[in-house]
Amino acid sequence: MASAPRPERVLRLLAGCLPPYPPPPPTVGLLSMEQQETYLELYLDQCAAQDDLAPPRSPLCNPVVPYGMYILNASNPDTAFNSNPEVKETSGDFSSVDLSFLPDEVTQENKDQPVISSRHETEENSESQSPQSRLPSPSEQDIGLGLNSSSLSNSHSQLHPGDTDSVQPSPEKPNSDSLSLAPITPMTPMTPVSECCGIVPQLQNIVSTVNLACKLDLKKIALHAKNAEYNPKRFAAVIMRIREPRTTALIFSSGKMVCTGAKSEEQSRLAARKYARVVQKLGFPARFLDFKIQNMVGSCDVRFPIRLEGLVLTHQQFSSYEPELFPGLIYRMVKPRIVLLIFVSGKVVLTGAKERSEIYEAFENIYPILKGFKKA
Amino acid sequence: MVVFGTTFFNFDSFIGKTDFVEIIGKSVFLYRYHIILPLLNDSGRYSLGDARRPLHETAVLVEDVVHTQLINLLQQAAEVSQLRGARVITPEDLLFLMRKDKKKLRRLLKYMFIRDYKSKIVKGIDEDDLLEDKLSGSNNTNKRQKIAQDFLNSIDQTGELLAMFEDDEVDEVKQERMERAERQTRIMDSAQYAEFCESRQLSFSKKASKFRDWLDCSSMEIKPNVVAMEILAYLAYETVAQLVDLALLVRQDMVTKAGDPFSHAISATFIQYHNSAESTAACGVEAHSDAIQPCHIREAIRRYSHKIGPLSPFTNAYRRSGMAFLAC
Repeated sequence: MASAPRPERVLRLLAGCLPPYPPPPPTVGLLSMEQQETYLELYLDQCAAQDDLAPPRSPLCNPVVPYGMYILNASNPDTAFNSNPEVKETSGDFSSVDLSFLPDEVTQENKDQPVISSRHETEENSESQSPQSRLPSPSEQDIGLGLNSSSLSNSHSQLHPGDTDSVQPSPEKPNSDSLSLAPITPMTPMTPVSECCGIVPQLQNIVSTVNLACKLDLKKIALHAKNAEYNPKRFAAVIMRIREPRTTALIFSSGKMVCTGAKSEEQSRLAARKYARVVQKLGFPARFLDFKIQNMVGSCDVRFPIRLEGLVLTHQQFSSYEPELFPGLIYRMVKPRIVLLIFVSGKVVLTGAKERSEIYEAFENIYPILKGFKKA
Repeated sequence: MVVFGTTFFNFDSFIGKTDFVEIIGKSVFLYRYHIILPLLNDSGRYSLGDARRPLHETAVLVEDVVHTQLINLLQQAAEVSQLRGARVITPEDLLFLMRKDKKKLRRLLKYMFIRDYKSKIVKGIDEDDLLEDKLSGSNNTNKRQKIAQDFLNSIDQTGELLAMFEDDEVDEVKQERMERAERQTRIMDSAQYAEFCESRQLSFSKKASKFRDWLDCSSMEIKPNVVAMEILAYLAYETVAQLVDLALLVRQDMVTKAGDPFSHAISATFIQYHNSAESTAACGVEAHSDAIQPCHIREAIRRYSHKIGPLSPFTNAYRRSGMAFLAC
């Protein structure tokens, strides 16, 4: 495989920068968790580029790999990432199409470039991403990522030399031409992602909006596009659906579009781009302005029953519990501003987030409280 | 023709209506300290229970009381609505009837707001719901709140009704109920707790069509609309809750404590009820000492209806409504 020699080189180059790690604790739901963490990293790169203000304690402040690294996973048959088939598909779809006419935020464009360019150009990807990359911190989160090397590409796992024995802290310095990871700055050691036995909320639904910036003829779109519904008497928008990523879009004649149903930020963005593409193919000068995630919904299970009556009594100012109206307790967290629906069974639904970090933070805040009301 | 003051004690028609007796039975069960749960199915078999009889009787009595009160309430609301010249009983009519009691009105308003808020949140979670909402024209957000605010705005002369919206005082009754539930659930194990939670989720609003039939709306000229039905379901639930709260107080009173300075002042009717309950117990039906008995309920209603004051026997209002409404 063409990519095989390169990861090894990356490993050697990076090995010099990283201290050995202790073995990670067992994680629950390995595949899904590492999927989450992949997206964590993607998101983190974005944050890192924007010099975000997340507190150091937050699990999100440990970006690990340049985005480009993940592209290698697509070649690995064991990978369970949803995004990778899409990445492949995207590459297939868009590689022949010049999307540069879709102006966008600069950082996003940087990210998109590696997606479109060949997957095997690891170094180039790393290069373009290097200003954004940071040294992975010796946190268990990262080890957890590295452990699942069957799903991650070799290059990725080799960033966590704790689980491969070929790692030697070698004095090799990265070659600035091929792999400029020189600007890696060491970060302070992080506390683990979650003190709560590695339960990570899964995203279930993302609602985003984008402005196509041109007036649309909804009738024409409805007639020519597949999977489009338009009933002007009922509602003044076209409802379009695509299967991959499985989403639904509402397209208005003003050019504004709402995209719902995606399970991650990248999927939402990708889906929105696909819809924009469809509109564009129909002859409209569609652009891709102001893509914004409006709402994110996550859910998880704390695995123990919760005594809601106790919770509503002690947290009266935040919670309302009317079992005859709704079986769950509605908890309005102030910081971050998230609404949590807490059920007796231990299931928790978090909604109202604009960013993934808010969901994680909210869950971290609520978990110790819920533990206090565990029903034995 | 609106009839005031008549009560419909028609036990036969109620025994067959197992659904609501079950709801009420379970709601009443919630407030007891020991869990004896009679399960009524269609053939009328009970599954277990020391306190089967008393509980079933209590449930039947409570159902009867609630039914009566709701019918009366509906009739008064229909009257108000006729005065306005409207064809439908709207939530405004019910709010109007409740204007006298600030606390209960506030509780109702809070309930309406929570209902609005909950539908807003649940909508955001499921994408299908979101589409449905957009399709139906998204003027549904906070509709109950708007209705309430507009109406109270229009009838408020002194400003005290509108002040309720900003009022953040703790609702004592609700607080007490929450504390009681918390105390009860602390000692339960998880199986009991699961059962408890399930019972709490029962409500009159879930079986809306049955509720309508139970209230016998079809025989009325003016019918309530959807939001008004929601409020009626809530009022039915509140009535049961109030009855149980009061019955528990009565039961507490019945236990004579040593050193209680007022034990000699218990009324004669009260003692009579107590004795009759005990005699039925002695007749072989094992009455669980902790179950709420029909006598408690009756005593609670009697005390509630008894208007204390220098001129109460002479006021017209007392004679007018035969039964004081527990919910408003």
